[in-house]
Formats: sequence, structure tokens, C-alpha cells
Amino acid sequence: MLEVSELSTGYGAKDVVRGVSIDVREGEAVAIIGSNGAGKTTLLRAICGLLPVSSGVVGYEGRAITNLRANEVARIGIAFVPAERHLFPEMSVAENLALGAYPKRPDAKQQSLVLELFPRLGERSRQAAGTMSGGEQQMLAVGRALMSRPRLIILDEPTTGLAPRLATQAYESLAALRVQGVTILVAEQQVPLALRLADRGYVLENGEIQLEGPAAELRDNPTVRRAYLGIA
Amino acid sequence: MTAVLLDGIVLGLQFGLLGVGLTVVYGLAGVLNLAYGPIAVAAAVAVSLSMQSGLSAGPAVLLGILTAAVISLLLNFTILQPVYRQEGETRVLLSLLLTIGVAFIIDGILVWRYPIEGLSLNIGGDPVSILGVPMRTGSLLASAIVILTGGALIAFFRATTTGKAVRSVIQDEVGARLCGVNPARVRALIFALSGALAGLVVVTEAMASPVTISAGFRLTILALLVTVVGGLGSIRGAFLAGLILGIVNSVSSFYIGAYITTIILLGAAALTILVRPSGLFGKHA
Amino acid sequence: MTAEDVTTASGTSALLGGGTADRRVSSRSAFAAIAITGIVLALVPIWTGDSRTLMGVAVGGLLFACYAIAFNVIFGSTGQLFLCVGALAGLGAYSSTIMSDRLGVPFPLAMLLATGFAVIVGGAFSWIAARRSLDTIFTGIVTLTFSLAFANLVLGQGGFTGGETGLVVEAGSDTFLRTQIPPYYLFLALVLVYLVGYVVIHRSHIGWAFRALRDDEVAAELTGVDVARYRIYAGAIGSGMIGFAGALWAHVEGFISPDTFSFGRVDVPVLVMLVFGGIGTLLGPVIGAGVFTYIGEVLASYSQLRLIAEGTLLIVLFLVFPQGLVRAVRSGVDRLRRRGPP
Repeated sequence: MLEVSELSTGYGAKDVVRGVSIDVREGEAVAIIGSNGAGKTTLLRAICGLLPVSSGVVGYEGRAITNLRANEVARIGIAFVPAERHLFPEMSVAENLALGAYPKRPDAKQQSLVLELFPRLGERSRQAAGTMSGGEQQMLAVGRALMSRPRLIILDEPTTGLAPRLATQAYESLAALRVQGVTILVAEQQVPLALRLADRGYVLENGEIQLEGPAAELRDNPTVRRAYLGIA
Repeated sequence: MTAVLLDGIVLGLQFGLLGVGLTVVYGLAGVLNLAYGPIAVAAAVAVSLSMQSGLSAGPAVLLGILTAAVISLLLNFTILQPVYRQEGETRVLLSLLLTIGVAFIIDGILVWRYPIEGLSLNIGGDPVSILGVPMRTGSLLASAIVILTGGALIAFFRATTTGKAVRSVIQDEVGARLCGVNPARVRALIFALSGALAGLVVVTEAMASPVTISAGFRLTILALLVTVVGGLGSIRGAFLAGLILGIVNSVSSFYIGAYITTIILLGAAALTILVRPSGLFGKHA
Repeated sequence: MTAEDVTTASGTSALLGGGTADRRVSSRSAFAAIAITGIVLALVPIWTGDSRTLMGVAVGGLLFACYAIAFNVIFGSTGQLFLCVGALAGLGAYSSTIMSDRLGVPFPLAMLLATGFAVIVGGAFSWIAARRSLDTIFTGIVTLTFSLAFANLVLGQGGFTGGETGLVVEAGSDTFLRTQIPPYYLFLALVLVYLVGYVVIHRSHIGWAFRALRDDEVAAELTGVDVARYRIYAGAIGSGMIGFAGALWAHVEGFISPDTFSFGRVDVPVLVMLVFGGIGTLLGPVIGAGVFTYIGEVLASYSQLRLIAEGTLLIVLFLVFPQGLVRAVRSGVDRLRRRGPP
């Protein structure tokens, strides 16, 4: 479904991400793990059109979407939930969700699906997004992304700022999404959670893919265990 | 005193709508459009010229409003494009300087080609008594137009999909993009709206007293004061600030004098910046 | 460098470039440049000395050079956008005139007092901006409101100020100030004094502080530079320079009106002149003032197009040429030098 080939991108003269190739098949959940500064966010932003690509190709369902702007990418079935969430602070939960469906009007069925997934959002429907807690904002960000009925949802470190219990809950919702047939690509520092959800994974360090393979293999990989799972 | 207050409210409504046109562009595009006043005057000239060539008032007014909207759009698509490549304070500063240039050019063209033009719309009819004060039909019509437009604007921003899209870009441009909103298109829409509002307010002003070719600078400053007091980027703030300043204007002009009144209005804006820079409802302190 | 290069944190530095990127020139070459400028300008009356109007224009050019040098100190050195140059000059002019004509103060003293008022007002703006942490835009708006308020004050207090029709300045009418050529040299001397003052300030610890705070205000503050204090110095000194020039002009010209000191007639041209010449450079203000006074005179017959021309210039300047002439020449010279003998 998503094919990234030899992608290089960065913020200035030097490329932060170099020659990265990943692919995500329909229905899969793929995790990108790596430490801080590895380039995960940069990679995802480039895929989603928030950052220009210096070289390489991003393909989605057979067509090249390499330098489409973010708003165009959002309209072809890919939803991106950035680490900073970028919610609309003075708008209510309901309005934030409604905008997720833009340019269409919010679909009642989809909205109830989202509210089923995140009942808290229903309780706080009128509340301004800026006044909610970190966990609730994260739910809202994912919920908003779902309102457009995306085929592929890309998340950048969805557990940022979340207490462990909430982080686990977040991944439970992601697992529920998988069941409904949504393809997931997630970049994550919290490796155990990510590898438990994912079918396959990539290890990104220093802007390059170091390892890739089925999640189970990565979990058993000694380098991975030492570096990310704290197991000697 | 009631008469003065009512006059102030009528004036205040116009001030408010005028301010909205300027503030909404700042809130959305991060740009201070100081060519705003001259664009409004260009609308007035367009109305006047078309009425002189036989068009009746209604279509002429629409033509004028359209003219202002188009000039505003052109401004967005040409001179301001390099400005959008900047961010934050640099963007505001550059936009301020460039739009002063545009203001001079528009003013210059108007003064050169139509030095004695002006717009005056006489609405006939007997004065209507409101709260015991005889109000000219012109003032009442102007107020009705402004109130209706204000209401329509509020409904637009609150209830329509496009209106919400506009608000989303103001609050978080990246977030808006991620929802599929195209900020450049929204910007164009808001610029056109801004011009249209300027044109509309100028037409309503012409119902009370003639609008001359040199009114551009005055209108820009007025809009700026309302914007500053209301809070840069706040539509609600502009409406409220406009009302307040309109009433202050009326009361002060009546009891004190014209020049001191202007000084008071200027002082109000300066005071707002010093005491509460975010204005009445502004986005950021 | 074009308007697109965002190199530093501060909005104005980013916009206009220069600052610490400017090559440091030695004091000797700076004073030499000033001397040469003085000599060149001293020759102008050879062409214009016969005509009273032309001499008037020439003096006006020098007046604007004074304004531009002062604005260079306030805006160029410390990034404070004072959009009230005209009003400060007007403050100097009107207060000096009123004190000498109405209150019997001998006019040299009146000019000094008037300058003092300008110093206080300018310093006050800088102080307020520092206390309330006003950014460039808000400083600009506040000073703009002052500019307009001052104009309205003058217009409103017609009894004192002559209102819209203006005020005849009696003081100084029986001195050499009203003759045809000497005032030119007086203003030329003022320009040279201001230029020397500019060099001296910038070589001193004050100038060092200016460069630090323009480059990165937070870093400067952290290394112990009292940013507020230096901004107040710049605001006060620059405003004093403007006020004095305005007061001198009043006694030389013999007639002042609100229009003489309005935003459109003073602030906008000064901005254009300074940016064209080169903000932050020594001779930029003088070159800018010279070029635009000349152009203004050449195009005098097309006065209806003046507004359009000024507007277009402003736009072209800020989009295409914000670094100014002096820097453009310098980088051209540098490029030539680099292509020199291997």
C-alpha cells in the first residue's frame, strides 16, 4: 500500500534521513523504532507532505505522492497524527472531530465509531480542546484522524506525555483499529508496546534503516533487546 | 445624550465591521494590510463612477464591493507571496512596509485620476424615531446592513464547513493541513472577504456623510485602532472594540471636539498595547 | 542577500540583513569617508547657489540626512521601530518656535530645550517598550499613534500652533539663518557632526552593546548587557538628533506646519532613504537622502505621480534590495578583489 524507496530528506543542507526504504502492506501494522533524534519524525513528516523530500520516492497504492503537500496527502486516504498533535485549541472536541472529516460533513456512523473507541471524547464533546489533559488530547488527535475514514493511519510517537496506563490504552485502541481493517504505521520510542502491536518493524538509527523484519524476530534480536528493551 | 449614544452605536457598528476586515487577515495570514483604507476608497470610487454612468444604486454597490474584494485578492496573490515565505515577526514587519507602499500606489492612482471624486449616498425618507430620537433613514439602513452582515459572518464562521476551516487555519495551520484544508485557498477567501467588508463599510459610511478620495489613511488607522483594542486576530474583539470606540467617538466629539477625540482614540489603542497587548479578546499576550 | 534570507532571531535583522555580518571598518577609514563626504557635499552650492529654491531643496536634503542618520541609530542599531520621526522633529520645531516667539526665550536656548523634550519623549518610548517588552510591531504602532496624536494636537491647538495653516517662525529671522547659502553649511556641519557622533558611539562600549543586542538579544542579556538601558540610550540620543534638526529647520526655514512633519512626508521617505542607502551602515543615510532628494527634484514636475512613485519604490526596495546600496557596493568590490591577481 505504502512504498517508500530510497528516501532522503532533512531540514537544510544536510539530509537527516538518508536512503530509507520501507513498505507497508494493506491491513498490516508496521512499527518504526529508534532512539531520540534517529529521524523517525523527519521520515514521517516527509511521507505525509509536511517536509520536502530531497530524493527518493513515496508511493501510495501505485501512484507517486512524493512531494504532495500535506493537505493533498490528507485527502487521498492517509491520516497523520503528529507527535505535537496540532489540535485546534479553542474549538470544541466536536468541532475538532468535524474538521477531521473535511471537506465532507462529519459522517454520523464514523463519529459514533470514534466515540465508541474513545468514550471520553463523547463526555467532553463541548469542551475546548486546549483545556483537556494530555491523554484526552491524544485520543482526540487519533479520533480526528479517523473521521476522514482513512485507509492508512500514520502516528508519530502516540505515547508522548502519556502515563504508562494511558499509553497501553492507546495501543489497545490501535489494536481495535487494526481489527477494523485500518492499516497502521507507527513510529515509537516505547518499543515493547510498538512491537506487540506490529506485524513488522524497522529500526531507524542515524537516519538509516539498520534492521528490519517481523516483529517477533526484532523482539528476539539481541541488539534490539540491548538497545531498546534494556535487556543485556 | 441618548441621541449622541445612538449615533455612537451606529458609528460603532461600522467601526467594528471595518476592524473585522483587518483583524481577520492578521489572524489568518499573519499579515498587517495597511492598504486596507485605500482599497475601501477604491470601492467607493467604483460605486460613484458606476452610478454616474447610469447604474442604479444596488448593482453599483455590489460592483464597488466586488472591486475591493478583487484588489484585495490581487494583493494576496502578488505582493504578499514573498511575504508568506517569512514567518512570525518578520512576516508582519515586511507586510506592514510593503502594504504601506501599496497604499501609496492606490492612493496615488486615485488622486491622480479622480482627484475630486467622492461617494455620497442619499437615502430619502423621513426620520424615524428610536427611543425618542429622530434617526435618519440613512443611519438606520447603514446599521441594519452592518448588523445583518455581522450576523452572517458569525453564522458563517460558526456553522459552515468553510467557516470552520477558516478558524482551523487561524488556530493551527499544520493541524488544518492534516485535515485536508488548503491554507492558501482559505487565505485567498479571507482576503476577498476583507476587501468586501471594507467596501461595504465605506458604502454604509457614505449614507451618512460623503467619503472623499483622501479618506484612505484615516480608514486604515481607524481599522488598526479597532483591531489593536479588540485584539489582533479576534473577530469578537473587533466588534466589541468598534462599538466602544464608536461610542467614545460620538460622546467625545459632541462634548469636547474633533481633534481631541482623535487623540483619545489613538490613546486608547496605545494604552491597550501598554496595559494589555492581547487586547480585549486577543490570541496572544 | 534578499528579503528571503532569515539569518537571525530578531525580525528586523532578519528582514534587513547586515548587522554583525558587516565587515568592520577601521576608525581611520570611517573618518576619512566622512571627510570626503563633507568635501563633496560642500561643493554642491557651486551648482545650486544661485537659486534660492534649489538651495532650499539642498538644505532639505541635508535635513533628511540628519533624520536618516538618527533613525539609523534608533532602528538600525537597536531595532526599535520609531514611526514618529516626523513628530519628534515637529516637537523640536514647534516647541522651539513657541518658546522663542511666544515666551521670549532666546532661540538658541529654546532649541536646546526643544531638543531636550525630544530626548525625553524618545527615551520614554524606549523605556516603556523595554518595561512592557514590546516587540517591533507594537513599538511601531505605539509610536505611530504618537505621531498621529501629535499632528492632531498641533491641529487642534490652533491658537498656540497656528493649526492647519502653519506657523511663521520669527526667531532667527534677523540672523544668518535666513540667508541663502550659510544655512546649507550649517546643516552640512550638523550632518558631519552626526556622522562623527555615529562613529564614536559605535566604537564605544555602547556600540558594542548595540551589536550584541541586535545579534541575539537573549544572549546579550545573559552576558550581562543591560539591553533596556542601551535601547534607551539609542532612543534618547536618536530622538534628540531628530528634535534638534527639526528645531534648526524651523528657524532656518521661517515657516512650519503640521504637514511638514507628517508621517507620509517624513517617516516614509526617511525609511526609503535609509533602506536604500543601507541600514546600519555609516554613509547609507546620507547617500539615500542625497539620491532621493535629487530624484525628487528631477521629478518635481510630475508631482501627481509622487505618491505612486514612492509606493512603488518602497515595495521594490523591500522585496529586492533590502540590504541597501552601501552593502551592494561593498560586496561588489569584494567580489572584484577576489578575482584579482592569483
